[in-house]
Amino acid sequence: MKSSFYLSVAALALSAGIAHAEKLTVFGPWLGPDQEAVQTVLSAFAEQSGHDVSYVGSDSFEQQIVVDAEAGSAPHVAVFPQPGLASDMASRGFLTPLKDGTADWIRENYAAGDSWVSLGSYADAGGAEKLFGFFYKVDVKSLVWYSPENFEDFGYDVPTTMEELKALEAQMIEDGETPWCIGLGSGGATGWPATDWVEDMMLRTQSPEVYDQWVANEIPFDDPAVVGAIEAFGAFIEDGKVAGGRGAVASTDFRDSPKGLFDAPPQCMMHHQASFIPAFFPEGTEVGLDADFFYFPAYEGKDLGQPVLGAGTLWAITNENQAAHDLIAFLQTSEAHEIWMELGGFLTPLKTVDTSKFSDEPTAKMNGILLDATTFRFDGSDLMPGGVGAGSFWTGMVDYAGGKPAADVAKAIQNSWDALK
Amino acid sequence: MDNIAGHKSSLTWAVHISVVLLVALWLFPTVGLFVSSFRTADQIASSGWWNAMFPTEQSLTLRTADPDAQVQQDGVYVIEGNLFAVEGRDPAPISTFGISSRDVSAFQPGDTAELRDGSALTLQANGDYRLVSAEEITGTRGSRVFVSAEIPPEFTLRNYDTVLGQDVVQRLLMFVGAGLVLWGVARFVLSSQPPVVAQALPVVAGLALMAALAVGFGLSSGAAEGAQTTDDMARAFLSTLTVTIPATIIPIVVAAFAAYALAWMDFPGRALLIAFVVGLLVVPLQLALIPLLKLHLSMGIGKGYLGVWLAHTGFGLPLAVYLLRNYMVGLPRDIIENARVDGATEFQIFTKIILPLSFPALASFAIFQFLWTWNDLLVAKVFLIDASGQTTVMTNQIVELLGTRGGNWEILATAAFVSIAVPLVVFFAMQRYLVRGLLAGSVK
Amino acid sequence: MHPALQGLLTIVIGVGACLSYFWASNQFLDRVLFPAKGPNAGRNINRANMIRPWLFLFPALFALSLYLAYPVFETIRLSLTDRVTQPDGTTVYHFVGLGNYIQMSGDPKFWEALWNNMLWLIVVPALSTAFGLMAAQLTDRITWGNVAKSLIFMPMAISFVGAAVIWKLIYDARPPDAAQIGVLNAVYVSLTGNDPQQWLTVPFWNSFLLMVVLVWIQTGFAMVILSAALRGIPEETIEAAIVDGANPFQIFFKIKVPQIMPTIMLVWTTITLVVLKIFDIVFAMTNGQWGTQVLANYMFNQLFVTRDWGVGSASAMVIMLLVTPILVWNVRQARKEMR
Repeated sequence: MKSSFYLSVAALALSAGIAHAEKLTVFGPWLGPDQEAVQTVLSAFAEQSGHDVSYVGSDSFEQQIVVDAEAGSAPHVAVFPQPGLASDMASRGFLTPLKDGTADWIRENYAAGDSWVSLGSYADAGGAEKLFGFFYKVDVKSLVWYSPENFEDFGYDVPTTMEELKALEAQMIEDGETPWCIGLGSGGATGWPATDWVEDMMLRTQSPEVYDQWVANEIPFDDPAVVGAIEAFGAFIEDGKVAGGRGAVASTDFRDSPKGLFDAPPQCMMHHQASFIPAFFPEGTEVGLDADFFYFPAYEGKDLGQPVLGAGTLWAITNENQAAHDLIAFLQTSEAHEIWMELGGFLTPLKTVDTSKFSDEPTAKMNGILLDATTFRFDGSDLMPGGVGAGSFWTGMVDYAGGKPAADVAKAIQNSWDALK
Repeated sequence: MDNIAGHKSSLTWAVHISVVLLVALWLFPTVGLFVSSFRTADQIASSGWWNAMFPTEQSLTLRTADPDAQVQQDGVYVIEGNLFAVEGRDPAPISTFGISSRDVSAFQPGDTAELRDGSALTLQANGDYRLVSAEEITGTRGSRVFVSAEIPPEFTLRNYDTVLGQDVVQRLLMFVGAGLVLWGVARFVLSSQPPVVAQALPVVAGLALMAALAVGFGLSSGAAEGAQTTDDMARAFLSTLTVTIPATIIPIVVAAFAAYALAWMDFPGRALLIAFVVGLLVVPLQLALIPLLKLHLSMGIGKGYLGVWLAHTGFGLPLAVYLLRNYMVGLPRDIIENARVDGATEFQIFTKIILPLSFPALASFAIFQFLWTWNDLLVAKVFLIDASGQTTVMTNQIVELLGTRGGNWEILATAAFVSIAVPLVVFFAMQRYLVRGLLAGSVK
Repeated sequence: MHPALQGLLTIVIGVGACLSYFWASNQFLDRVLFPAKGPNAGRNINRANMIRPWLFLFPALFALSLYLAYPVFETIRLSLTDRVTQPDGTTVYHFVGLGNYIQMSGDPKFWEALWNNMLWLIVVPALSTAFGLMAAQLTDRITWGNVAKSLIFMPMAISFVGAAVIWKLIYDARPPDAAQIGVLNAVYVSLTGNDPQQWLTVPFWNSFLLMVVLVWIQTGFAMVILSAALRGIPEETIEAAIVDGANPFQIFFKIKVPQIMPTIMLVWTTITLVVLKIFDIVFAMTNGQWGTQVLANYMFNQLFVTRDWGVGSASAMVIMLLVTPILVWNVRQARKEMR
């Protein structure tokens, strides 16, 4: 009932927009296939609202948006890959709060709506907490990719607990195979894939409360709990467990890394990465046939449920005009979500979407993982301040993969965090 | 000179050989990029580019035809065909094959391998296979067959189609041919003109013809099959030119006047100003980005071509003034004194005497500044590229491509080569002037 | 309107405006303000000549001050302040004295960057000049010397982004059992039989591999200038040495090199300036990871990733300080030439 009311409000807002069309610039991190998808969504919006919409993507979004906002030449709408950066910009007064009622709509229509609202709410320059970011397009990170045919050849079963996964690892090594392909390389952002590993291990070794304290730095980064999680990640990158050996982990490009699953003979059997990775599989790879995934399992013995780590892009208004508010309203329609769902690689917490619109079975299965999580936590490094979450945490993980002790790395990250305060 | 008895032959040989080695060493990296840009992804992944001319042993994962291709013969189900044909590849001699990722080279061509579902696969060296099963073959797809095959060397223009759009390279080559013809004709016609005109005009005319053809016929007729670029490289190319040409010319004009004043006019504070210019040679430009962008926005210039021209002018000036002043100081004093006695105004002396005489230095700086602005990424990113998407430059497109195609060497190599092609052409065409101007400013 | 035409029009307007300023201002000075006619012709000419240099200089000085001098002072100011956003959304700058510098000196990454920059400063100019000198001497007397020169000079035209791709391909590593497609690993594996190395992650040595890229680019520049200097050496000195029975090596090191020492110094300092500002190569190849950080990249990270303007500006000031000796030397040379 209520949701349909909001929908009609959105539709009204859209029809009102036709009266005076405006220019709307959207700036985001997507390039390549994702860029085509977002342009399809935006052109649907342009058609409905009459606004003149353009999208630009950049590989160095984080640096570019900072330069533009500082100088006052920001786009109308920016699509942040990380809440940490958005919150920082909100506190500097660069973001416009979303229209009243948006928060209620999210609580109403999104699975785990409260957490999406709190993830998108930040303190503005005056310290007042407001909703600035609207989440649209989310990723599940707790996934392990594999080639089903390779598993068949060796007679492996998909593990459902961390204990089984560890046993499977040992079995693979015994069979003379390499369990993992892990690559941390990502140009200027080298190191970020390792932060996902650490966060996943954090959720599998500690309670969600501890995770939240860690993200807020209420427990220091070099707390034994965190060092333990880093070392739990370290257990996966020992020589012999990872293709190319530990030395290759930090310098292998994350886009290149999954290709080892499909080599002949396979360089590795498993690859831990978020739901977007099929975009980087070799040409012609079909998810569900050539490649598949399973939930990165939790320890049976630890009783922490089925934690899921996720991330998402949030849309925020960096330069207010009516068209920007119209766009946020448009993103509250099921249609906006379904357009991208049909194009693939898109997950959404929106409960009202027609799930038959998912481009393929695997994506629907992934969305299931997202909706069934007993604990859902957002990518921690994205919530930390930019200097840590997009700085020392990344470089620290590169150092760790290079052989530096976990405790030293954690200490250095904590020091950099202290320096920011 | 070096003809000291006894040393000549052996020394000359040694010199020749060492120069060959040096040149080879310096060329080697770029050649690698060039060769890689014509190879397929499979080729690059399986052998170094220095083996590009030789067949390579590659491991391929192929599939038999789908189960719905099966026919019943004598009570058994059979699928027959050629593995390479299924994938649409050219056949290649198979040395070993396997049917499980456990052992991808378990069998020799002609062997029969037992699959997990009980069917038997016989594979010949040319890729012909016969799959026989007692039961009906089920499943959605054919079975995987891993083969090691001698793939012959293969060169392709497809990477260029992916990066630039369809057939751009072929068209460009055509335009270049036309430009060269015009250049030849122009040289012939202008050969009686004064040397500067005869040298510069044909080049300009040839380039102008190429540009006209490119505008008239367009460069890109859409992206290639399977291309993943949503970008319009042709537009980026034009944007880059729009940035580069004024950003090269404006600083030269501004700097030439200033250099003349610093070289040949007497006024208080001249030495101080020269020191000031030299001092500014060393400022790292990352410092200037945010303060200047703020300034542009507060002046209402915003992000755009004007801003980027001004920024390039500011950043290029110290070197320009420094080079040109050094050159002008070296010009013979009496020419200028005579002109002054004859009653020429300073403006006339400058335009009629100094500028033509300084041509080498001007050309040299122009080439420097052209290369610098063409290759620049940082300044364009800050002062030009905004969220409207209407302005972008080649280097930016290349970097974005690197971001989306992180591990695809064939695309990276092609993109990088495209970005350095124009500077290389300009460089080889104008090299003489570059060297001449450089020397003027440095060697007394 | 076709984008190409738009571009052409903007080019014509931009360049035209610039040229017309010079012409019009000179016309104004000579015709309107101080006409070289009438009763005060002589005085007017003198006055006009007092003003004319500034007409000629004005655009250049204006652009230089605005685009280079002003940012330097702005940076000095920022490096001594901390930026705080007020509750009403405005930004104020609190003076903190040397606080940013003290904070920076506590950051091990900064010392790593400084140390690496020192290495760069020693290695790159030395190698570029040495190779340049060698290439200049060798190519000088052979028939195809000019062709060789232009090929060695060619990397100057290549963008840093392009160079980064080229060298990444050379340093590429594949798993031990696969064919190596990076030249360095192919050679290394066939010579030593060891496993291939991830070159860019090998501590300490990886910085040198990045330096190689810059040496490759800068050698051509050094070679061109030094080869001209070698040609400028008076023949008599060399002939005298030959008569005295000096061998070619002695001639080169004892006669030629001392005579072109000033030019060698000039090449050395020019390359040093490039090295101090080195950013793109490190940014594109390692982004300062694995112990390859350099100052300009550190500054970029502080400004745009950590968004700490104070420390970012402080590190910029360190670069400026390192440049100062070269600056002083350059200014002195310029003044010597003036006399």
